[in-house]
Amino acid sequence: MTDENLSYEQARAELATVVEKLEAGGISLEESLALWERGERLADICQHWLDGARERLDAARQQAGAEA
Amino acid sequence: MTTPEPNGAPKSTPEEPWPVRVVSQKISGWIAKLGWVWVDGQVAQISRRPGASTVFLTLRDPSADLSLTVTTNRDVLDMGAPNLEEGARVTLHAKPDFFPARGTLSLRADEIRQVGLGELLARLERLKKLLAAEGLFDPRRKRRLPFLPARIGLITGRASAAERDVLTNARRRWPSVNFRPINVAVQGPTAVPQIIDALKVLDADETIDVIVIARGGGGVEDLLPFSDEALCRAVFACRTPVVSAIGHETDAPLLDYVADVRASTPTDAAKRVVPDLGEEIRIIGQARQRLDRAVRGLVEREQHRIEAIRSRPVLARPHVMIEQRAADVTALRDRAGRSLDHRISAAAGDLRHTVARLRALSPAATLDRGYAIVQGRAGHVVRAASEVAKGDVLRVRLASGELSATVDEASEENR
Repeated sequence: MTDENLSYEQARAELATVVEKLEAGGISLEESLALWERGERLADICQHWLDGARERLDAARQQAGAEA
Repeated sequence: MTTPEPNGAPKSTPEEPWPVRVVSQKISGWIAKLGWVWVDGQVAQISRRPGASTVFLTLRDPSADLSLTVTTNRDVLDMGAPNLEEGARVTLHAKPDFFPARGTLSLRADEIRQVGLGELLARLERLKKLLAAEGLFDPRRKRRLPFLPARIGLITGRASAAERDVLTNARRRWPSVNFRPINVAVQGPTAVPQIIDALKVLDADETIDVIVIARGGGGVEDLLPFSDEALCRAVFACRTPVVSAIGHETDAPLLDYVADVRASTPTDAAKRVVPDLGEEIRIIGQARQRLDRAVRGLVEREQHRIEAIRSRPVLARPHVMIEQRAADVTALRDRAGRSLDHRISAAAGDLRHTVARLRALSPAATLDRGYAIVQGRAGHVVRAASEVAKGDVLRVRLASGELSATVDEASEENR
């Protein structure tokens, strides 16, 4: 999977598209399921980015605190 | 031999060297050729011996480390510069003189004028215009001071208040500041050459990022070395930025104009050459806080966006997607069932109707009412008397059971 290489913005944009498609309806069940799985995966990727950003922030903050 | 030697004069050789008196005479002749000149200089030393009519002066160049001896008559001195003291600026009319007896050179002055303060200031004004015209004061030629110099060259008087002010205030602002001080005379005839030498030494030192020339306050005459033309040109030629820190009351010394940065006092110079550590730490702390807040805010905003997307029903309750379809299936199945039931009951109705009709067509009801069906031998239904003859055996069907009968008489009925 190339999902790991998605940036936060790419993942979020695709997630929004997936949700819009699901909300619009008019697609087959199989396709809906695949879209939903994709949406979950994209939401996880976004969350992963945000968690990572928070960790880095906290780490930098701690390091700054230790240096001061 | 008092006239200059023509070119064809005999050369001195190891075999025929010139006697001292000849050489002395020749030197005297060459020196005398300069004639009378007007000389500008600073009095470094003056010796008036009581009773002696000859006065000796040491006349220095204010910008360079060189001097000449001047002899004059006490009357000349008393007429032009009666209160002449060491350090004064003089203009004198003199002729070089060679004393053969000792082999020494001096200027013999027949007129000495002490240069007054007004004249000195007028000269400075002319020099200022000249240097300005040459571009020495051009703001575009000024170099910026480094934010934090690796090392600072400091030119001041030994153990002076100026030195202490610069060092103390700079260290207070930036404790690890690094100085290379050079102590010089900051007034008097040796000031300018010493300052220029110190400038050259510091400018050649690669570790030095900025040079401060500092002196506490003083009168206009005390500060004259800092308006010296040679010093101004030396400062302009420096590759290293130069800060002037000369405390003065009215007229700014020309050094202030030519320096890259003009500080009002040595303390002010300290403020300009190093940043305030406490202030810088505070600014960095603030910047770090803002940075932190901005990034954290961004992450939180994005977190909310993702949560909002995740809470949309299509993602939050994916079972709806299947349940909806399951409901569709149930509904269709119901419709199918209902439609089949309908068909079956319709068919049942049809059947009942048909049976009723069937039943209605049956003769049984008629027989029930007392009618009978008469059938001939061949089974055909007898409808007219003419169809039978006497003696025929007939079958009579009743509502319940049947009879066998024989025809006694057949009579045609006219209808």
